[in-house]
Amino acid sequence: MQGGIKMKRVLVACGNGIATSTVVATKIREACEDQGVDIGVTQCKLLEVASKVSDYDLLVTTGKFEGEDVNVPVIGAMSLLTGFGEEETIEEIVNALK
Amino acid sequence: MILKIFNTLLDAGPTVMLPLIIFVIGLIFRVKPAKAFRSGLTVGIGFAGIKLVINLLASNLGPAAQDMVKNFGIKLDALDVGWGAIAAVTWSSPIIAILIFVILLSNIVLLILKKTNTLDVDIWNYHHMAIVGIMTYFVTKNVALGVAATISMAVITFKMSDWTEHLVKDYFGLPGVSLPTVSALSSLVVAVPLNMLLDRIPGINKINFDIKDAKKYLGFFGEPMIMGLILGGVIGALAKYDITKVLGIAVNMAAVMVLIPKMTSLFMEGLMPISEAAKKFTKTKFKGRKFLIGLDAAVVVGNTEVITTSLIVIPLTIALAVVLPGNRVLPFADLAVVPFRVALVVALTRGNFIKNIIMGLACTGAILLAGTKTAPVMTELAKSTGIDLSMAGGALISSFAATSLTVSFIVFEVFTGNIMITVPIFIASFMAIWFYIEVIKKRKKGEKVETSEEKSPVLQ
Repeated sequence: MQGGIKMKRVLVACGNGIATSTVVATKIREACEDQGVDIGVTQCKLLEVASKVSDYDLLVTTGKFEGEDVNVPVIGAMSLLTGFGEEETIEEIVNALK
Repeated sequence: MILKIFNTLLDAGPTVMLPLIIFVIGLIFRVKPAKAFRSGLTVGIGFAGIKLVINLLASNLGPAAQDMVKNFGIKLDALDVGWGAIAAVTWSSPIIAILIFVILLSNIVLLILKKTNTLDVDIWNYHHMAIVGIMTYFVTKNVALGVAATISMAVITFKMSDWTEHLVKDYFGLPGVSLPTVSALSSLVVAVPLNMLLDRIPGINKINFDIKDAKKYLGFFGEPMIMGLILGGVIGALAKYDITKVLGIAVNMAAVMVLIPKMTSLFMEGLMPISEAAKKFTKTKFKGRKFLIGLDAAVVVGNTEVITTSLIVIPLTIALAVVLPGNRVLPFADLAVVPFRVALVVALTRGNFIKNIIMGLACTGAILLAGTKTAPVMTELAKSTGIDLSMAGGALISSFAATSLTVSFIVFEVFTGNIMITVPIFIASFMAIWFYIEVIKKRKKGEKVETSEEKSPVLQ
């Protein structure tokens, strides 16, 4: 336990839980490390979101997520793949995890 | 001297070669040496991990598949080990470094000539194009032919990405991107002609029903661990194992389904710095020009229609594998990536459910047959990279990737066939399709651009 603050957990989902989610997860991890935000990142397939998301504080998806309602904030992270608007999205994610 | 060093490294096998190749590719893209080294090592670890999991899969599923043949005559002895294993085999080929640059160069040349708008720096998905060249090289022992096959794959991929941009924009609502992911594009070669055919059947576009409950009842087909558990159990039962052994194979197969993606993501993690460097490099080269950014098709498979269609196509594909004459592929690991194979089909029909199922199944059927045909070559290639299949009881390996994909299969057959005949036919057909789509179709104004993509060569 570090200072009693609960570490925020983020779920990163993409089509197969391998490729694009790894890119996004790595970028989130690096950005949070830079800013000293302590987080835990888990990757999964979009299909698994429904069964997993309740254990997390934030859901980040690489594509359009239009599945069922989830009870945590959702951020789309396409920009981390295309490279356009990357900084804004990273900022949004880091702020949500602070 | 250099040759001697090279041969020593080659003898050490992919586990040593792979980190080295990635390290060198990294340096060429100006990744910092320390980072490039870690990249290489991470990819090497991923490969070692995949080898372990494939061993677990083959030693469990192989003998059971053989027993299934004995007991019921269900001859499904080409194990679907999944695209991750195929990607591992691809990245450990001695000619992979050449092919990566050949693909990137093909993209840059086409961009300069303004023959494509797709900027494809999704290096990760280069493996789909590279494997065709690697298998061609493996069969013909001719590097030039391997390179030519990969260039063909690259050109087809970039063109098909251009031609499907409107589907990505209109149906999936993602403007400014295209999807140079062969595993998604390939299905269109089957789906587009079939779509035209189906449209001639009166009334088919009017039949439309909603299956909202598909997710509720078939959702487990989307959860790898549950699917692995059930499939493993069923296969164990068909092999007439006793209950202890059935439970054992069920849990082991659930493990395989969960572990393969974990190992594969190490690959991705290792390749990421290189991919990022390539992105930066090409972007500065083409400053000011408008592009379609090539992305992994993973960005569209979250679509509800795609998921629903997949959940129905997956069990139907398993059934099809049993009844389809000539098929020997036992669908397994790649059932998890069926959404990629149906994504553009769904966009093509704009979500017509009945057509999606028919066409989706036709696409997976084509994959099964091409996968059967090329399984012997794939098996030999995998063995040559040190994947241990000795416990598999003589079973072959296959997947829903590599030359099982329709486009890849055609290109592979073209370059390993009688090239004096096949190559000219192939080039002529591709040019004709190109001309049809970009000249004739554009001329037909008034009508909105119909949903038609490409159809590759006439090689039946």
